[in-house]
Amino acid sequence: MKTKRLLLAVAITALVVAVILISLEAYYVAIALITGALIIGHRELWSLIRRKRLPPIDERVRENTSKAIRNGFIFFALATAFLMLPFSVRLIETPDTVHVLGGLFLSGGMVYLVSYLFYDRAEPGLGEKGLKMLKIFLMVAGISLGAFIISVFLHNAIYGLFIVWFGEDFWDRIGVGDEPVFFFIALLSIVALAVGIIGSLVMFIKGLFSKPL
Amino acid sequence: MGIRMKTRIKEYRAKHNLTQEKLAEMVGVRRETIIFLEQGKYNPSLKLAHNVARALKTTIDEIFIFDE
Repeated sequence: MKTKRLLLAVAITALVVAVILISLEAYYVAIALITGALIIGHRELWSLIRRKRLPPIDERVRENTSKAIRNGFIFFALATAFLMLPFSVRLIETPDTVHVLGGLFLSGGMVYLVSYLFYDRAEPGLGEKGLKMLKIFLMVAGISLGAFIISVFLHNAIYGLFIVWFGEDFWDRIGVGDEPVFFFIALLSIVALAVGIIGSLVMFIKGLFSKPL
Repeated sequence: MGIRMKTRIKEYRAKHNLTQEKLAEMVGVRRETIIFLEQGKYNPSLKLAHNVARALKTTIDEIFIFDE
């Protein structure tokens, strides 16, 4: 009874906030919020749909969930901090770029959170090889996020510092126009992040729908 | 060096004609937890180990074996 009331409260709050966010054209945040609410209430929703009693939250699930929530919050804190950076120091002036990157990071965060929350259900079906692959994809996603943040910072820092040290036309003089190395690493990181996100999602779904080994 | 844990839960479960689902229900955990225990991938609390042993009508050291 307590859980159902809590679910209802979360659902109504999420819906109201999502409507406000959509009216403000913050679509990615609204999608993230709705997905988050579905993740929190998935057990109750599923039991309501199937009219089945909820599986118990045992000691192993409690351990996994607390780990998942802690790691998920760290990921979202990093992603949010990064997303706020371009706005606060005006590094990126085109809002579209920010929105695309925001979507990518939020979907990464979602995959990360979902993988951990449902980990206990997906793991038995994956086997050792599948599990290794899932961990590799999650690591690729995490590392490329870090690499992207560092490369963007270094790209802009080096671009600016070299102008200060060697003159305003330095980059045109050497014929590249912009700092190329970290720009390239940042682009590669985005590709790696996408690969990590898609790969872990595929492995996770595979584990969820396979029979336990 | 770590200590490896093996379990004989599967063997005892078959002996008592219990499914993973039924055993999970008896000890108040999810079926997935029983799968992890059988595979030796989850280190249970003393209370859970006791409950599993009791449900299988045996002792803890009979079903949880530690290799050093």
